[in-house]
Amino acid sequence: MAKRWPGFLLIALLLLAWEVASLNKWIDPVTFPPVSKIATSWWPAIAGGEIMRQMLPSLWRIFAGFALAVVVAIPLGLIMGTVPIIYRLLEPITEFVRPIPSSAYIPVAILVLGIGNEMKIFVVFLACLFPILLNTYGGVRGVDPVLIDTGRTFGISRLKALRQIILPAALPSIMTGMRISLGIALIVAVVAEMIAGSSGIGYYILDMQRIFRVPEMFAGIFTLGVLGFLINFCFLKVEGHFLKWRGTSVET
Amino acid sequence: MNVEVKGKLSSASKADDETIIEVRNIRKVFAVNQTSLTVFDGLSYKVKRGAFLSVIGPSGCGKSTLLKLISGLEAPTGGEVFFNGRKINGPPKGMIYVFQQYTKSIFPWRTVLQNIRFGLDSQKSLPSREAHEKCMEYVKLVGLEGYENYYPYQLSGGMQQRVVIARALICEPDVLLMDEPFSAVDAMTRAILQELILKIWSTLPITVLFVTHDVDEAVFLSNRIVSLGRAPATVREDVEIDLAYPRDQIRTRGEERFNAFRQRLFSSIFLQEKEGIPNA
Repeated sequence: MAKRWPGFLLIALLLLAWEVASLNKWIDPVTFPPVSKIATSWWPAIAGGEIMRQMLPSLWRIFAGFALAVVVAIPLGLIMGTVPIIYRLLEPITEFVRPIPSSAYIPVAILVLGIGNEMKIFVVFLACLFPILLNTYGGVRGVDPVLIDTGRTFGISRLKALRQIILPAALPSIMTGMRISLGIALIVAVVAEMIAGSSGIGYYILDMQRIFRVPEMFAGIFTLGVLGFLINFCFLKVEGHFLKWRGTSVET
Repeated sequence: MNVEVKGKLSSASKADDETIIEVRNIRKVFAVNQTSLTVFDGLSYKVKRGAFLSVIGPSGCGKSTLLKLISGLEAPTGGEVFFNGRKINGPPKGMIYVFQQYTKSIFPWRTVLQNIRFGLDSQKSLPSREAHEKCMEYVKLVGLEGYENYYPYQLSGGMQQRVVIARALICEPDVLLMDEPFSAVDAMTRAILQELILKIWSTLPITVLFVTHDVDEAVFLSNRIVSLGRAPATVREDVEIDLAYPRDQIRTRGEERFNAFRQRLFSSIFLQEKEGIPNA
């Protein structure tokens, strides 16, 4: 953290530049209100619980969708990575479905699941599924043959080898997939909330824009920035714990 | 005589207690691009229980392949491998293979103690206290006390190889198959590990099959050396190394007979190696 002060200083300077530019009307103060004004409307929104009220449904959607994706993608990826016939069966369809942006599924999801939580969790789930799946079977297929043969010479069962050798060896790759997915989950949840529904931080941002409370709109956006930062920070901590044996995980 | 050599076509041998491993008329053919490479075409050999047998030969002659076939990690194209009188079909219990690439064989997510514990758990389940004590015994055997809670990335190459050896030994195997285990460590570490493996071999009831490209190493360690010819490989030389144990890095290597063995085996391989290189 100590070494990151130049980065934080730059953020502070940019905010200061924004403030000055807005106060002096170098930029349109209606579209870009001064940072001080955003902060003064941010604080009551946090203290009054409004931000929290909007954040909780968003957080629930993000983590429910993400958790579902983890629970489905890791076992599926392990099977795809270890059973060649399953891999050959599912790999082409995975490669075909994967490039479709998950926001493109939102209209379909609305038709099937409505505009409630189910739809949003499903879309987040779908978006999170592929990065984890790909990195899981990629990681499994990349496990060094010497490691597999080591398991064989010790005569352990295939199931034991899966749990004690293949899974830990693929874990760094799986973790990478999970980290990518978490970032995508935040994006997709916000987009889904903006398209349909009446709660969540995405809905809040769009709502504030519509009723022209621009400082509140920015407050919502900044909240997302902080949220994304915190999620990533926590994930890196978790990852660092599970992968401490690599000795390369940088302390955040 | 520790090892009995058979001709190209071995007769069906009666099961005897002296023989721990028998390779009978094995063939191994690899498909390389469109052609095929015959590494063995009817090789037979018997290894006596308790031997320290080294396999040497020119590069590419199939030393490592032979070890893989004996271990059951690879299947022969033809012929059979017997372990304790039973035909093997896949890696048998009682035989552990120590890989040349120890950095790839060690479990980086397990500490020294946990790596060794893997070996123990693969053979039997003991109460945790007893298991811990047994693992510590092997930590000490390979001289890693104080490092038991280190992760592999915190250890030197020589120490990692010790972990891999301890993980194999705790299984109390009848046979330890070692594929150039010390080729990737520095010379001093190699000398120390050589003495360590000799100490272990002389204290435990264990047969060691050791593949190496280093003739000095083979003479220093073994009581028997098999020198293979170029592929398809046959046994070119089968030499009993009757230097006295315990052997010592300084004293044994200074002996005249050490050098005589070394000279004889080295020239045999070197001449073959030269034949294989055009204009050499």
